[in-house]
Amino acid sequence: MSFLGEVVQWFITAAHWQGTNGIPHRLYEHLVMSVVAMVAAGAVALPAGILLGHLNRMGGLIINLANVGRAVPSFAILVVAVQFVGIGALPAFCALVALAVPPMITNSFIGVRDVDPDVRESARGMGMTGRQVLGRVELPIAVPLVMAGVRTAAVEVVATATIAALVAWGGLGRYVIDGLAQRDFVQVFAGALLVACLAVFTEVSLAGVQRLLVPAGLRRQISDKNETFVAATPVVADR
Amino acid sequence: MRSPRRYAVATAGIGLALMVTACGSSSKTSSGVGPTTAEKDKKTVNIGAFNFTESAILAGIYEGALTDAGYNATVRPNLGSREVVAPALERGEIDLYPGYAATDLEFLNKGAGEATPDAQATTEKLRAALASKGGTALDPSPAVDANAFAVTKATADKYNLKKLSDLAPVAGQLKLGGPPECPTRPFCQVGLVNTYGANFKEFKPLDVGGPLTVAALKGGDIDVGLLKSTDGSIPANGFVVLEDDKHLQNADNVVPIIRTVTVDDKVRQTLNKVSGALTTQDLTQLNKQADVDKEDPEVLAKDWLKKHGF
Amino acid sequence: MQAGGLIAAADPWVRWDWVSRHTGTISAATRQHVELTVIAVAIGLAISFPLALVARRWTWASTPVLSATGILYTVPSLALFAMLVPWTGLSRTTAEIGLVGYTLLILIRNTVAGLDAVPDDVREAARGMGFTRRRQLWRIELPLAMPSIIAGVRIATVTTIGLVTVTALIGQGGLGRLILEGLIRNFRTPLVVGTVLSVILAVVADVSLIGLERLVTPWRRNRGRS
Repeated sequence: MSFLGEVVQWFITAAHWQGTNGIPHRLYEHLVMSVVAMVAAGAVALPAGILLGHLNRMGGLIINLANVGRAVPSFAILVVAVQFVGIGALPAFCALVALAVPPMITNSFIGVRDVDPDVRESARGMGMTGRQVLGRVELPIAVPLVMAGVRTAAVEVVATATIAALVAWGGLGRYVIDGLAQRDFVQVFAGALLVACLAVFTEVSLAGVQRLLVPAGLRRQISDKNETFVAATPVVADR
Repeated sequence: MRSPRRYAVATAGIGLALMVTACGSSSKTSSGVGPTTAEKDKKTVNIGAFNFTESAILAGIYEGALTDAGYNATVRPNLGSREVVAPALERGEIDLYPGYAATDLEFLNKGAGEATPDAQATTEKLRAALASKGGTALDPSPAVDANAFAVTKATADKYNLKKLSDLAPVAGQLKLGGPPECPTRPFCQVGLVNTYGANFKEFKPLDVGGPLTVAALKGGDIDVGLLKSTDGSIPANGFVVLEDDKHLQNADNVVPIIRTVTVDDKVRQTLNKVSGALTTQDLTQLNKQADVDKEDPEVLAKDWLKKHGF
Repeated sequence: MQAGGLIAAADPWVRWDWVSRHTGTISAATRQHVELTVIAVAIGLAISFPLALVARRWTWASTPVLSATGILYTVPSLALFAMLVPWTGLSRTTAEIGLVGYTLLILIRNTVAGLDAVPDDVREAARGMGFTRRRQLWRIELPLAMPSIIAGVRIATVTTIGLVTVTALIGQGGLGRLILEGLIRNFRTPLVVGTVLSVILAVVADVSLIGLERLVTPWRRNRGRS
C-alpha cells in the first residue's frame, strides 16, 4: 500500500477515534488549551496594548517586546517552563501565554497609536472625551492591526501546543512526537496533517472574524490590510 | 546616534566573529582531529547507543576498551529506540551496540516468547536470530537491567500492591506511564495485559524511564511507571518496584550485539572482558551519577574503565 | 503537577565545568545552527525575489503566491517537518525545506511592499529619462526598496533562528540539541546554554542586519534619525 494509502487507512481505523489517544480527545485537548491560553494572554495584552497606545506611553518597551519575543525560541520557553512548574499541562499553558502576549500587545499598541492624528483631532474637536475617542474612533480604526496580532498569536499558540506534547502533555502533537519515537511515520504524518489543518482553520476563521469586526465604512479604505499573517511589525522598523 | 558606518562595521564584525569562532573551534569536536596515517590502519568500530543515559555509558565503556585495544572506536549516541538501532546495525551504519539479551531477542522474533530467565540460553537464541541479519552476540554480562514497574509508596499502600499479580483487580482505575513504544512491547504493556491480566485505564507516553516518568509518578499523573531496574531514582524516591512473580521479564543481561564482520579475536576478548567485569551494582551506581548528579556519560565510562584496570 | 517532581536536588542553572568540557559540542551546535539559518534565508531570498516580481507584474498571480506561502507559514513548524519526513527522511534536507518555506511569506511581502513604496514621481522621472523596465528595477526601485527587503530579511532570519531549534526533534537542531538534552536529562546547563546562545545569535543577526541596511542605503544617513 502506498504511504498515503496507509495514512488514509490510519484515519479510517476506528480505534484511532476512541479513548484518550483518539483524535476527538486529542483535538479537544489542543483546542481547549489554545483557547484558554489565548484568553488569558488576551486579557492582559489587549487592554494593556490599547491603553498604552491611546496614551502613547512605553512605546519603545512594547515594540522591543515583540522583537525580544521573536528572538527567544518557543521550544526553549517550553522546556524552561518545565524547570519552574514541572511537566504536563501547566508548563504548556505558561509557555503559550508567554508566546501569545508579545504579538497581541505590540499590535494593539501600534494599531491605536498610529491612528491618523487628524482623525483624532477632529474627534476631539467634536467634543469627544478621551474615552470616547478611544472607544468610538481609535479602536474601530485599530481593529485590523489588533486582529492581526490576535491571529498571529493564535497561530503561534496552536503551533507551539503541538511541541508541548514533549513535556508529557497531550494534544495533537502527541501523534507526531510518539510517532517519531516509534518510527511510525504514518502516525507522524497523520498527526501533522491534523495540526496543519487546525492551524489553517484558526487563521482563516479569525480572518473572517476580523472582516466582521471592521466597520463597513473603513473596510474600503483598509482592504489591503485584510491580508492574512504578519502585519504587526512595521515593514520598515522605526529606529 | 554615532557614525552609522562605524556601527555597521562593528555589528557585522561581531556577527562574523561569532561565525568564525563557531567554525574554527568545531574542528576540535569530540569526533576528533583528522586521522593520522597510523590511525587510518586501525579498524574502525562505530558504536551505537539507545536514547537513555545507561546506554550512552555502556557505549562509552565499549569505546574506551576498544580504543585501548588498538581500534578506532567512536560512539554515535542517542540514536533512538530499538526500531532505529537494530536496523542501523543491519545496514552497517553502526557495528556494535550494548543490547539487552531478552528484549533484543523478543524484538527480533517479533514477541515469540523464546526468552527465558537463563542468560546463556537466551543469548544462544539471540545469536541464532541475529545470524540472518549479519550479526551476533558476544558473552552476556552478569549485569542485568530489566523493566521495572514502580509505584509510589502511597499507591502501594493504598491498593496493597507488592507484586504485579496484585495489579489485575485494580488496574482499571490506574494509569500506566512509560516510553511511547510500551503499548507494543511484549515486556511492557502487552506483557502486563497478557501475563498479568492488567488492563489499565489509560497509558501516558512519557520517556524511557527518565525524568518525565519519574516526575509523572511523583506528581500522581500516573500510578504505575516503567523504570529501568537499575534506575537510581527508585531508591532516591522510595518507589516500590512490583515483583515480577510470573516472570514476564527475562534475562535482560547486557550483551554486546555486533556485526559478524566486525568480530575478531581481539574484539571478542576485549568486549568479553568488559562484560565479565560489569555488574548490576555498577549499572545502578553509574545511572545514579549520570541522572541525579548529572555527570557526563563519557566521563563515567572512562572512570569505570580506569577502576577496572582497562 | 508539582514542580518538585522534576527539579533535581541541586542542579545549578549553569555548571561551568560542564561548559568548559563541552566547548566542542557547543560550538558544533552553534555552527550547525548558523549554517542551517544562513542556507535557509539565502535560498528563501533566491526563491522569494522572483516570486515577488511575478506577484507584482501579474496581479492575478499575487493572490495564489501570497496564499500558498501564507499557508506554509501558518502550518506549525513541527507539523511541516513531520510531513516531509516520509519523503526526505530525518535529514538536513527536510529541515532546510521547512525552514525555507517559513521565510517565503515574510520575504515576499516585504519585497513587494518595498517595491510598491517607490514614489510614483521617481518612476515617472526614470521613465522620462529613458530607463528600460529592467534598468528601472535594478537601478532605482531595488535600491529604494532595500530597507524594506532587509527588514524582511531581519524578521525571516530571527524567525528561522528560533525554528532551527525545533529541528532537533527530527535529528538536526543546532542549539536545539542542547535544549532537548536539557529536557531529556532534566539538566539545566545545556538548556540554559542552548537558550542563551540562540537568543544571542538572534540579536547579533538582527543588529548586524540593521548595520547592513545602513551600509546599503547611504542616502538615508543624513536624515537625522535618532
